[in-house]
Parts: sequence; structure tokens; C-alpha cells
Amino acid sequence: MSDYMIEFVNVTKRYGDIVANEHITLQIKRGELMTLLGPSGCGKTTALRCLTGHNHPDEGRIFIDGQDVTDLPTYKRNLGMVFQNFALFPHMTAFENVEFPLRIRGLSQSERREKVVEALKLVRLEGYGSHFPRQLSGGQQQRIGLARALVYRPSVLLLDEPLSNLDAKLREEMRFEIKDLQVRLGITAVYVTHDQEEALALSDRVAIMNKGRIEQVGTPEEIYERPGSQFVADFIGLSNFLEGTVTAVEGETTYLAVDNLSLGLATTAGARVGQRVLAFVRPNEVELAAPGTMSGPEVLEGVVEKMTYLGDKVDYRLRLGDRLMLRVQSGGTVRFKAGERVAVRLPMERCRVIGGGKA
Amino acid sequence: MMCAMTLVRQYARSVLSAKTLLVYSFLLGFLLYMVTPFLIIFFNSFGKGWYGMRWLPQEWTLNWYQWAIEVADIPEIMKNTLVIAGIAVVISTLIALPTGWALGRRHIPGKELLTALILLPRMIPAITFALGVAKIFYGLHLVDTFLGVALAHVALAAPYAILVLSATFESLDERVLEASAVCGASPAQGFFYVILPLILPGILSSIIFTFTTSYNEFTMTLMTYGPHTVTLPVRTYLAVGEGYWEVSSAMAVILIIPSLFILFLIQRQLQPEKLVGGFKGV
Repeated sequence: MSDYMIEFVNVTKRYGDIVANEHITLQIKRGELMTLLGPSGCGKTTALRCLTGHNHPDEGRIFIDGQDVTDLPTYKRNLGMVFQNFALFPHMTAFENVEFPLRIRGLSQSERREKVVEALKLVRLEGYGSHFPRQLSGGQQQRIGLARALVYRPSVLLLDEPLSNLDAKLREEMRFEIKDLQVRLGITAVYVTHDQEEALALSDRVAIMNKGRIEQVGTPEEIYERPGSQFVADFIGLSNFLEGTVTAVEGETTYLAVDNLSLGLATTAGARVGQRVLAFVRPNEVELAAPGTMSGPEVLEGVVEKMTYLGDKVDYRLRLGDRLMLRVQSGGTVRFKAGERVAVRLPMERCRVIGGGKA
Repeated sequence: MMCAMTLVRQYARSVLSAKTLLVYSFLLGFLLYMVTPFLIIFFNSFGKGWYGMRWLPQEWTLNWYQWAIEVADIPEIMKNTLVIAGIAVVISTLIALPTGWALGRRHIPGKELLTALILLPRMIPAITFALGVAKIFYGLHLVDTFLGVALAHVALAAPYAILVLSATFESLDERVLEASAVCGASPAQGFFYVILPLILPGILSSIIFTFTTSYNEFTMTLMTYGPHTVTLPVRTYLAVGEGYWEVSSAMAVILIIPSLFILFLIQRQLQPEKLVGGFKGV
């Protein structure tokens, strides 16, 4: 038995001149929830459709549970899927919707009834079997969609932006519900979304996609803490990018010339003078203080250009030197106003070099 | 203050009731306007000696129906009418299924223009169109054949069918079809369990539209019929010309029976709201 439930091996899919998926290779472990995350047009939906069989890859193979399914039609792949627009059968009741895959599989009526009742209970909609989809709220429809996808215990559960059509509060509630069900049933799941918060909250691992390629695969913590590219650092959370040239390496501290400023970073392996380096720091990791109260190679001085009060935090846009703009978010009360000078500390352990720098 | 509020409320209520009264009297008037001609024909077909300013006929009789059936051979003419309508329905549906699919589900350049062209036969005055059709049909020896008269009707009926079916096919949600495949349904199972139930109401309403179009059609028939293909609307008209006002009234009453039946069918079996709504999942 293969360790992996799903494997993409070098999958490429083109639409005319557009390469929607370029050499996608991805392994998804048994019982794992893997999210394909990326902006619209990044190829995550194409990859999912290759997995369902609605798209046929131009190159590469796809395996489900060790079996090569690349040329297998959708209906023979034993998948369960939840759709963004729910895609319930409008002419069937909730019960009949959930029953449909069982009817196709030729189960007896009593078996079907038992399994449907169980599935409806699983999604907490026991009393709603006789309702038609149009009589149900968005959240209820999506729960029926979930029950329909799970009732026949498919080998894999696919979720294509399942929460995008729900309002914010319900979205958060359903997020935990889906995660809970997936863990409880121990089913391997592939979750497609453009919502990074959703991806971080749900996933065992996240594959970040951009322009048809996978940029990075890792646990939510890995991709947030150690982004492998500027794209990932930019897409996951907020980031300030500092691009400069290494001017000196002195033990633990590497000095970087950014515009006409000098900034001290923690030395990384292989750092050498003259190297171009791209570092990033999250807005909430930067410390602000009154001018002259902090010192060190990682402390710069700047002017508050704009201050926005956001309730639980304050958002500052600072100008450092002539051109460099820095976004800083700090909790609590407003301490600086627009036009004030501030000392800015970019903590060495938080100001990280992306991908070991650019040549 | 309280007093003023009460007054305002009372005023609002009285305006409301006046408005309601106006609406109802308007509706009643409209109903009379719609129903009166029918009532006159109905009494006329059963009445004898209904002249001048009398409210009701002097005598009641079934004579005119007897005449219509025995002398004017209405059963045979009804058969012609239904056979022609049947042929027109089959041909229209066969044309409209693929055309409606193409218009509803494919991206076709110049779709709007195509739709306008399809509607053209319904836009030009019927008599103009019918004259042209007649000229062609004489050349093709299609005049006074069931097929010929039916084909003339198709020109008017098919546009309806195409519009209804393209709207039906357009409302088929691609995701729902994909969902059936993911659930394990083969293409054939997907068609019978999902596609067919979803498009059946549209197909039925298209059939009803085309049937009633052909069944009621007068102008196109008038220009293409012959001794063997007289239809009920034309025969009714001819009876008036021959001076048999009461007999033509009887024919007119017979003419509406199938229409009423279809109306009943639509109300009971199809549930009009099902024909238009309920397709979109969201």
C-alpha cells in the first residue's frame, strides 16, 4: 500500500497557449487535509479538475490510492466533492440528494435509508430530509452537499471553495465543522481556496500555487514563518520587503544597505559582501518607540506618514530615509501621530532573508 | 398627539380601501371585457332567434352542433387540425432541440443576431409571410398536404420552441452535471437521473407552445390549405362567410375545448412556477 493517497506526478495542463498547470508534483498523505492555496488564475482549480477527471492532463500521471487514474472517467474514481455553489440537484429533496450516490451504486432501499439518515445526522440536518434545496439556507445547502459527498465513504474528499458563498460568520463556523468531520472520519481531503486564513486554520499542509506552479508546500506554520519566495511571503499575511546589498558580515550581524540606510540582520549561512538580498518582516513584528530610546544595528529612524486606527490595532505607514516605506501594526492605543518621528526596530530574529537571497 | 396619529391611520386605511376597490373594479371590468365575446359565442351556439337587443336567445337548441358535426364534417376537420398540429410539434421540437442547445450552451459569435433572425417569421406581418410561403409551396406541390400546412406552421412555432428550449438548456448548471459524475453516475445515468428531469418541464412547455400555435393558426393555413387539409379555425371562418353564424359559433366553441384542456393540464401537471424557477441552486 502506497504511503500517499493522492499523487500528482509532473502534471501539465495547457489551454491553448496558457499553461494552467506546469509540472505539478505533489504527494498527499493518507488522512491528511491538503489545501491548494493561491490567487484566482493560479491553477488550483485546474489541478483539482485534473484530480476529478473533468480535465485530462496533457502530461504527467495522477494516482489515487496507488492506482493510476489519469485515464479513468470521473464516475469511476470514487471521489466525494463539495462545490462552491453547492451544486445540489434542484429537483431532488435533501434526502434524495444524499441518497443519489447510493442509488447509483445499487444499494437496497433499507441500506440507503439507514446511510442517508446517518449522513444527515453527521451534518446536523436530521429534520430537513424532505426540504428542497431552494427551501434551505446557504449553510444548510452546503451541509447537504457535505453529506452527499461523504455518504458513500469515498476514498478522497474534495472541497472546491466550499465556504466562499457563505457569509463571514457562518464561514468561520463551517470551517471548524468541516475540519472536525474530516478528522473524525479520517478521510484524505483536498481543499481549494484563495482565502489564506481559511487555509491556515484548516490544513495539515498547504500547497501555495502561483502562475500554474507550486511555489511551496508546507505546514501552515512553515509557510508563514519560513516563506520560500517573495510571492509566498506576500500572499500569506502582510509583509514588508527590504531589498539591498550586503556591505559587511561581522560575526552574528550582517549589514545590508537598503537605499541609503544601513540595517543589521542576523547572519545566514553563505552570506557574503556584495550579495543582493531580499529580506522581509511582518508589520506586527516591528517595534516602535520615541526617537533616541532604542539603539543598535537593527534600529532605524523614520517619520509617520499615515496612521489608521483599526480598533484592536493601529496601522502606521512609515517613511524611512528618502524612499523606503514600512508598514507597522501595533496593538493597543495610538502612540504616534502623522508627521511624528519614531525609532523603528526590525528585530533581527524576525527580519528574515527569503530563499537565501537573490543572485 | 395621539389623536393626530389615529387620524392619520384612519385616513391611510380609507385611502387603502378606496384603492382596493378601484383595483377590484378594474379587474372586474377587464374580466368582462375578456369573457363577454366568449359568452356571446357560447349563447349563440346554443340559441335560436337571438336578434336585436334581446338579453338571451328565444329558444335553446343543439341543432347548430348537429349541423357542424354532420354537415360540415367537424370530426374529420378536427382530425386534420390535430394531425397537422402533431406534425408541426414533432418538426419544431426536432429543430429546436439542437438549435436551443447550441444557443443556450455554446458560445456562438453573433448569438443576438441569430436569435433575432430566428424570431423574424414572428415579426413580419403573418399575411406577408404566408403569401411568400404559399408561392414557394405551390411550386413544391406542398399546398393541400398535411406536411405542407404543418411546415408553414413550423415557421411560426419553431421560434417559440427554440426560445423556450435555449432558456431551459441555459439554466442547466454545469456544476450540477459535474456533481452527478463525481457521485458516480455514468453519462447515461447522469442524463436520465439529472439532465432529463431538469429539462423535461422546458420540453413540455415547448411542446404545448408549438401545439397551440399550430392548432390556433389561421393566416398561414388560409394560404396553404386545400380541400383535404381544412383546419378548424379556417372552417369556422368559412362558415361565417357562408352566412351560418350560429354554426360557426358552435365550431368556435368546439375549437376552444382542446385549448381549455391544455390550460387545465398546465395548471395541474406542470405548475407554471416550476417551468421558470428552481433551476439555479443558489
